[in-house]
Amino acid sequence: MMHSVELTLKQQPEVLERVLRVTRHRGFTITELTMTVSQDSTLKVNFDVQSERVIELLTHQLTKLFDVLDCQVITSSAAQAEAEISAMASA
Amino acid sequence: METGQKMRGADAVIKVLAAHGVTTVFGYPGGAIMPIYDALYGHPVEHLLSRHEQGAAFAAVGYARASGKTGVCFATSGPGATNLITSLSDALLDSVPVVAITGQVSTAVIGTDAFQEIDVLGMSLSCTKHSFMVTDINELIPTLYKAFEIAASGRPGPVLVDIPKDIQIAELEYKTPLLTVNEEPEPEVSAIEAAGELLQQAKKPILYVGGGVGMAGAVDHLRQFIDKTGMPSVATLKGLGAIEHGTKGYLGMLGMHGGKAANLAVQACDLLIVVGARFDDRVTGRLATFAGNAKVLHLDIDIAEINKLRQADVAISADLRQVLPALSASLESKSLELGQWQLEVEELYREHQWDYQHPGDLIYAPAMLRRLANKLPEDSVVSCDVGQHQMWVAQHMWFRRPEDHLSSAGLGTMGFGLPAAIGAQVARPDATVVTVSGDGSFMMNVQELTTIKRRKLPVKILLIDNQKLGMVKQWQQLFFEQRYSETDLSDNPDFVLMASAFDIPGRTIHRAEEVEAALDEMLSTPGPFMLHVAIDDAFNVWPLVPPGACNSDMMDQMEKQT
Repeated sequence: MMHSVELTLKQQPEVLERVLRVTRHRGFTITELTMTVSQDSTLKVNFDVQSERVIELLTHQLTKLFDVLDCQVITSSAAQAEAEISAMASA
Repeated sequence: METGQKMRGADAVIKVLAAHGVTTVFGYPGGAIMPIYDALYGHPVEHLLSRHEQGAAFAAVGYARASGKTGVCFATSGPGATNLITSLSDALLDSVPVVAITGQVSTAVIGTDAFQEIDVLGMSLSCTKHSFMVTDINELIPTLYKAFEIAASGRPGPVLVDIPKDIQIAELEYKTPLLTVNEEPEPEVSAIEAAGELLQQAKKPILYVGGGVGMAGAVDHLRQFIDKTGMPSVATLKGLGAIEHGTKGYLGMLGMHGGKAANLAVQACDLLIVVGARFDDRVTGRLATFAGNAKVLHLDIDIAEINKLRQADVAISADLRQVLPALSASLESKSLELGQWQLEVEELYREHQWDYQHPGDLIYAPAMLRRLANKLPEDSVVSCDVGQHQMWVAQHMWFRRPEDHLSSAGLGTMGFGLPAAIGAQVARPDATVVTVSGDGSFMMNVQELTTIKRRKLPVKILLIDNQKLGMVKQWQQLFFEQRYSETDLSDNPDFVLMASAFDIPGRTIHRAEEVEAALDEMLSTPGPFMLHVAIDDAFNVWPLVPPGACNSDMMDQMEKQT
């Protein structure tokens, strides 16, 4: 499955490391990531992850991070994941 | 905000500790934390010098687990901080509230590979509940307050605060921060009702009790729930002590080295009530077959544990001190029909009693530990290391409260027992504290004998010696064609002679007839004592659920090892 996740983060120097570490350790691969600084000094991070695991295994862990203010799963798609895997295989 | 006098950051650190009721810190000084040690000098907050930072942090873990308070440890930058990592990992997996404070090189040289500089904040990400590096003196006090709040709230865990040296010597005006303390979530009425319905429908419910009960301070609430419902129960390694031995329907530890009755009852249940536990693989065996016919009611403060490994039919992520009474109340007007199931559980209990008969003159460790449990006074703590002796303690010693049994459960860290016992003895100076160790584990933090000597701590050391890394060798015997790779420890040192070098008296016993008097001597000798016990090395830990097997497929045999 492929999932698009949107995070709102406290602006801390190590916050992106925390998110990336948890994502890797819990068995999710990031295929795309963008980050913007909001006017209220929070960070918005949007990323796509793929995994055979259910997305709640990741979102519950991300939500536990103290610098994660909000965590939303925007979309989940099996078809998108298959397309990604196919593209990676042919690359 | 309260305003106060001007002081160095280092002095503020000690003042914050005192404000949190910290009376003892465990640690080891070094260059980058010298201002904090200077602030400690002559201060009423006492410091216990370990002889390795891993020992200091394990002492903080033992202190926390034996007392329910937050343990605190100090280390310097670089190697001091890296030596904390194992103990912090242990605290993370066993949900122990610890605040670790590390010195760091000054902010101006961070990132220049300065002397004793390592990226401690980066290292801490995977082994703490949360971590901070303070780079602004004005953030120092609020950060420390947050560290204590995070360590002890929700699912507890270790928090590291890395403080550069220039922050320690910078001046600030002490202000007590106003922090909003998050209350633990209350259970929703609808969830309690749904749980009550599950309970009422069940014919064979059983409580699977984990360490979360003790950490939540919900032992009495659980016992009241059991009193009221007559619910059968089993416990994890960390859950031992939450239910007193002899409680009707309580079958002891489940899992890989659990009792047969406990495992068979769980496999037969139709409702598994998981209380502060997390479906650890050492508990479940093959997950797909674990309590395979049961619905699941999962009660845990950490929502990330819900549905992580086993889908719950009803889950409540809230404070167990509220959940358990609410659940009892929801059953007020309803009747549970457990009579037949209680009889089945009683029959399992009767059928699978431990057998302490052991032919021959050699010392049978399970029988010795059973005798020790009978001799211990009410206020006692047993701190284990990791391996066969750890499982024998869990199987054969019975505990009155979870805080009386310290065992490295999640991380399984050899070397835990001795420093954790030191922390427990500091936390509970009037308690009889016994560390039960093995000849492998004991050598992992043996330097902490000096800490016992320095403080004249009356820690009793029961060293069970089979001249091997017993648990690894048991697996080599069973699953690796008896290829005993690097598990022979027949060149062990003379342990009693070694203890004497630290002014710790002791003796060695070899024969079963010596056990009774030797245990009495250990417990009655004032101050520390080492009882070195050469056991029958032919005996392994039984029963055993082989890796990947279903919990009903327990191996139970006695084989002479070669």
